[in-house]
Amino acid sequence: MIRAVGDGVVESREGEAAHGDGAAVQPRTIHVRVLRQDAPGGESYWERHAVPYEPNMNVISVLQKIAERARAEDGRRVAPVAWDCSCLEEVCGSCTMLVNGRTRMACSALVDRLLEENPGEIELRPMSKFPVVRDLKVDRGRLFRALERVKAWVPVDGSYDHGPGPRISPEEQEDAYPLSTCMSCGCCLEACPQYTRIEVMRHEDESEEDFENRRKAAYDRGFLGAHAVSQAVLFNGHPTGKMIADERLSALTRAGGIQMCGNAQNCVSVCPKHIPLTRSIARAGRAATVWAIKKLFDR
Amino acid sequence: MSVPDSEQSFLTRHQFLIYRLFSLSGLIPVGAFLVVHLATNASVLAGAGTFQSRVDMIHALGPLLVPIEWAFIFLPMLFHASVGFAIIAGGLPNVGSYPYVGNVRYTLQRATGMIAFAFIIWHVIQLHWMGAALGGGRFDPHHATSSAALALRPVGVSLVYAVGVLSAVFHFANGLWTLGITWGLWTSPAAMRRASWVSVAVGLLLGAAGLGAVAGMQRVDIEQARVIENRMDDVKRMLEGQTPATGPAVRRPAVVPATPVSAAGTHPGR
Repeated sequence: MIRAVGDGVVESREGEAAHGDGAAVQPRTIHVRVLRQDAPGGESYWERHAVPYEPNMNVISVLQKIAERARAEDGRRVAPVAWDCSCLEEVCGSCTMLVNGRTRMACSALVDRLLEENPGEIELRPMSKFPVVRDLKVDRGRLFRALERVKAWVPVDGSYDHGPGPRISPEEQEDAYPLSTCMSCGCCLEACPQYTRIEVMRHEDESEEDFENRRKAAYDRGFLGAHAVSQAVLFNGHPTGKMIADERLSALTRAGGIQMCGNAQNCVSVCPKHIPLTRSIARAGRAATVWAIKKLFDR
Repeated sequence: MSVPDSEQSFLTRHQFLIYRLFSLSGLIPVGAFLVVHLATNASVLAGAGTFQSRVDMIHALGPLLVPIEWAFIFLPMLFHASVGFAIIAGGLPNVGSYPYVGNVRYTLQRATGMIAFAFIIWHVIQLHWMGAALGGGRFDPHHATSSAALALRPVGVSLVYAVGVLSAVFHFANGLWTLGITWGLWTSPAAMRRASWVSVAVGLLLGAAGLGAVAGMQRVDIEQARVIENRMDDVKRMLEGQTPATGPAVRRPAVVPATPVSAAGTHPGR
């Protein structure tokens, strides 16, 4: 979905530093290179755009300027670049893209900072691990499918009142809180060398349901990813959530489970929420070890 | 819902078990063998006689040596390498875009694994008796120091050994650290940092032993080593109740044959 909401001025914790006190002279124009794609499975191509510089811009406001102009740098009329965004304050997780080659949230990618590291030009690409819907918009369905695989929820549905749940100690809360800040942005997956792209295209004569099942099956063979492992750890540590701990461990040790982790630890390095993902992975590894041994002797 | 497990292939169904066995095999027995092997080889720094006696200890296993080699060294190593190559094929290194320390280690782990594998194949052909058919098999367990030193004498060969040994050592030390995460031994970032120092220490120690062995082989006086080995060989024969191959009057020449020593058939050894 394209949301051009006027001049998106975004407050950010990095905001103040963006005013260059006698730093390098700011350019009048920002050159933006965008990797575009018109449709799923289509060819991708680079397109250059020029946007007048303003102080305190972020990548989203740059994209809004591009949409406003609807012209490439050479003056050709082009369709506006499509992208996803919503909250503009780094909590919704929908504006993930590759900015200057690295995965990050477009809303918190400040132009002044980007020009410091790469003067004159900003490069925007869609995430490489998910199927492109159009331009910078990708289908992160596999990310959410992985949360279904590990049952990343507290099972409270039922036909009668179960009464109040057990109390959670402040220590447990402190431990769990960082994991609960995950916004499903997919940065950990994009940066993971073990998480490789799975794109399933619909056949011409295939029903929507058949296609959906085939795609799920393909996703289910792939690596869960750090986010799902961390959510499994979060809910296995929750007093009510742990009632289905074994089902989560079973999912973690099936094909594409935690064993696919290669310990590159990129996930924790790129996570915009600074979630201790490698701690979650190691804890899940420990739980999987104990669970596998128990299963071996209990059967 | 997801694909029922019964419809998946054997390897897919048992992926978790296979990957955990892969992880374990890197430590036991393959890693453990690497430690013993490098420590044995480093004993050459204490002299030709010391190295020869270490080799004799191993070869005291006699006919058991071959099955032990296959069960605890070659087959586990082939298993570890096969799964390792499958893992490498499934990954997509991106150290150019994300040059973090952990990612560099991830990439090096795969690179050193492949280098070490190629090196070990070549090393086994060059020195192990099985490699004799391919023009190798140059290690003679009765003349351990002199035959190994002669094979390693060309500087190029010693350099290849240095690279191969250091690759194997890095792969083992870094693998020790990742194994601890995989099995959940160290889970907090602080514990991972501490474990990382232990792995560095293990790596430095083993690297020193490995390079020491390569350098030690370069330093060996081959003719003198040959004399010591002949004397030790005679003692061994006498203890076994056989007459020495050569009497005191006709000492074997201390000259080393250029061709591989033909003890391979009667003395299977490495």
